[in-house]
Amino acid sequence: MLSAKSYTTPLRFSLPFKSLQGHSPKPGLLPARPTHMSSIAATAAAAAAAAVVPVVPSPPVKTPSQTRVDILSESLPFIQKFRGKTIVVKYGGAAMKSADLQSSVINDLVLLSCVGLRPVLVHGGGPEINSWLLRLGHQPQFHNGLRVTDALTMEVVEMVLVGKVNKSLVSLINSAGATAVGLCGKDARLLTARPSADAAALGFVGDVSRVDPSILLPILADGHIPVIASVAADDRGQSYNVNADTAAGEIAAAVGAEKLILLTDVAGILEDRNDPGSLVKEINISGIRKMVAEGKVAGGMIPKVNCCVRSLAQGVHTASIIDGRVPHSLLLEIMTDEGAGTMITG
Amino acid sequence: MASSAAAVMAIVPSRARSALLNPQKTDGADSFVLVPNRRNPISTSKASPLRATFRSNRFHSVIPKIKAQSSPGAAEYIPQAEFYKIEAILRPWRVPHVSSGLLQMGIRGVTISDVRGFGSQGGSTERDGGSEFSEDKFIAKIKMEVVVCRDQVEAVIDKIIKEARTGEIGDGKIFMIPVSDVIRVRTGERGAKAERMSGGLADMISTSIST
Repeated sequence: MLSAKSYTTPLRFSLPFKSLQGHSPKPGLLPARPTHMSSIAATAAAAAAAAVVPVVPSPPVKTPSQTRVDILSESLPFIQKFRGKTIVVKYGGAAMKSADLQSSVINDLVLLSCVGLRPVLVHGGGPEINSWLLRLGHQPQFHNGLRVTDALTMEVVEMVLVGKVNKSLVSLINSAGATAVGLCGKDARLLTARPSADAAALGFVGDVSRVDPSILLPILADGHIPVIASVAADDRGQSYNVNADTAAGEIAAAVGAEKLILLTDVAGILEDRNDPGSLVKEINISGIRKMVAEGKVAGGMIPKVNCCVRSLAQGVHTASIIDGRVPHSLLLEIMTDEGAGTMITG
Repeated sequence: MASSAAAVMAIVPSRARSALLNPQKTDGADSFVLVPNRRNPISTSKASPLRATFRSNRFHSVIPKIKAQSSPGAAEYIPQAEFYKIEAILRPWRVPHVSSGLLQMGIRGVTISDVRGFGSQGGSTERDGGSEFSEDKFIAKIKMEVVVCRDQVEAVIDKIIKEARTGEIGDGKIFMIPVSDVIRVRTGERGAKAERMSGGLADMISTSIST
């Protein structure tokens, strides 16, 4: 695009200043999250201003190579900060249902793995389980947001989560260029469950009683991506359905992860429920507890917040609740200052 | 440990000690000794308060018998000292938060050691590394020790709690132990001069007062 090319010279001068302003991550401390425009948005705005033709939705424009390498070099501080660190991503919600979002998450995981981070994917699969239960003529039931799991439901959950959802994610990651290993909580006793407190109402729903991450360490060290389904067994082999958020939090604590990221269907935690612009970008444990006590956190968010706080208390550095409906939300969260949701720090 | 420290101090007789014990009755009592009753060893718990006995019986009829447990303030024996050691057992990954918070407030001398411990609260379990730990499993913690003078104690404790608290079981405990003296090895200074660190909290307070 000739018009864009003629504007690369001013871009070349402006971007280095932006990068000096934006990134100075101190080792061990989190970078501040300023609200200045990201360089991607700046270049898009410059390109839009430069374009002679009116901006209409069109087939994707090839970004000029100068822009691309500038953006790439700006992500260097983040890559350096997180290289070699383990990142646990809990995958669920809308990001799992739409094919486009699914492929963007998979590509992000592969990119992170290539760059040197060590992602671990933990997944749920509620909609798939529901559709298979209905095919068998069994009505899915929920109690307080958790699935009522009788014996038949437990079999279906195990088959669908471990057999279908897990393996399809593994093969998607393989096709995208990385290698994935699909596990469930039973493999190598990764997760050991015990019946949850209201087992009488819920059936085979379990809490995590023990995590043994020793199988994950060689997988991660060899550069593979573990994909973990949150089905676990107790000491006697009885299967339990474990909530995927909880499983992700405990696995993150067990492997000493740097980040826990929960992909959700909301923008994050809002200061004011009715104002979508009041997204809380960064908050610490005492702040989020105060928000829960004040009732500012929506009911469905509270279990996610609790799981984040639990894993932070066990040593995970940051836990983020991000918007899975945004393409490349993982990269936005990890590789930019602005993030894609709410980050809870220790 | 805390009780044996109190026992050591209790045996020293002095008028000052009696004034401490009975703040309302400052005189009239001759020097008297806190004798550990053979049946009830001295402890600082409220359950068994200290018993004071008179050395000389000559004034028995003139001077009223002062029994420690009957006077109002003395059911709690809080040893008074110029310095206190604050011993905090904390989660290992919270220690950098705590020490940077202490540095910010001007506390410049801290010692840490790696310890392991358990301390469960009946029934509920602590989570460490994803797994639940019940009663007698030892979990790694860090013990942080700070010795400060008496008026800085509360501020230090509040700071430690603020930085270390997560709200989950296993956050740890803080103990306050009286310290009778502080000596600097390099110069031999004792007391408040030895405890004071240049650029520390005392200096921060005095510069803010003078400016």
